Amino acid sequence: MFLSAVGEALRKALEAAALRQRVIAHNLANANTPGFKRYYVTFEESLKRALRGEQELRLYQTHSRHLPGSGPEVEARVEQDRFTTMRQDGNNVDIEREMVELVMNSLNYNLAVQQLNGRLGMWRYVINEGRR
Amino acid sequence: MELLPGLAISASGLTAERLRLDLIASNLANIHTTRTDQGGPYRRKVAIFAERLKEAMVTPGPQAPGYGVRVVGIAEDNTPPRLVYDPAHPDADARGYVALPNINVVNEMIDLITASRAYEANVTAFNAAKSMALKALEIGRV
Repeated sequence: MFLSAVGEALRKALEAAALRQRVIAHNLANANTPGFKRYYVTFEESLKRALRGEQELRLYQTHSRHLPGSGPEVEARVEQDRFTTMRQDGNNVDIEREMVELVMNSLNYNLAVQQLNGRLGMWRYVINEGRR
Repeated sequence: MELLPGLAISASGLTAERLRLDLIASNLANIHTTRTDQGGPYRRKVAIFAERLKEAMVTPGPQAPGYGVRVVGIAEDNTPPRLVYDPAHPDADARGYVALPNINVVNEMIDLITASRAYEANVTAFNAAKSMALKALEIGRV
């Protein structure tokens, strides 16, 4: 009840940012592991598609009363960049890039927390009948 | 909680890079060591890192691919020792050559810099995870 579609999207964004933090930490921990290939998280594209109401795969319906399947799935996914190489030993972790993504991810996380707090604050305002 | 494994991942990176720094210090300290327990000169030591993958699915949903890095072992560099002509040295062979450790100071210094930069990167990732966890405690505190 308290979490509307936007609230749900914010919750998903928080989960994705937490996952991305762990993935970046994993990449940085393996910055000197020979043959390691970096991982990354895809989430924003999936969220964008879901907010536009698009869906990757639809269940085929031969009757108007068939169930359409669950709604658009917004899921953070971990993928691996297998085909590039940064160094002689096959490692492809670019520390600068990971640091930039780390900072952007922290900012995204803080942004989502503040948005969520704003929405919860409005609910609290209503529940308290306008008294702060 | 979600973010705490992130701290453990960064901690594994810190431990691994710290070990690498220790081995570089050991290599530099032993740059003129001609006697060891195994006989012969000191051999350069290198740490072998491997990705620490997760063992099983603990919770449903997408997860980080692993839990950082682990040190598989410490290996010795098998390149031949450096031979220096010094007949006055007590460990010189019959022709007057001394076998010195196979350590190149330039390589060690470069390894030192990469290890300490990687250490700093892990510290930054650790601090980011910490500040995110603290921020999460502010949810609902308007």
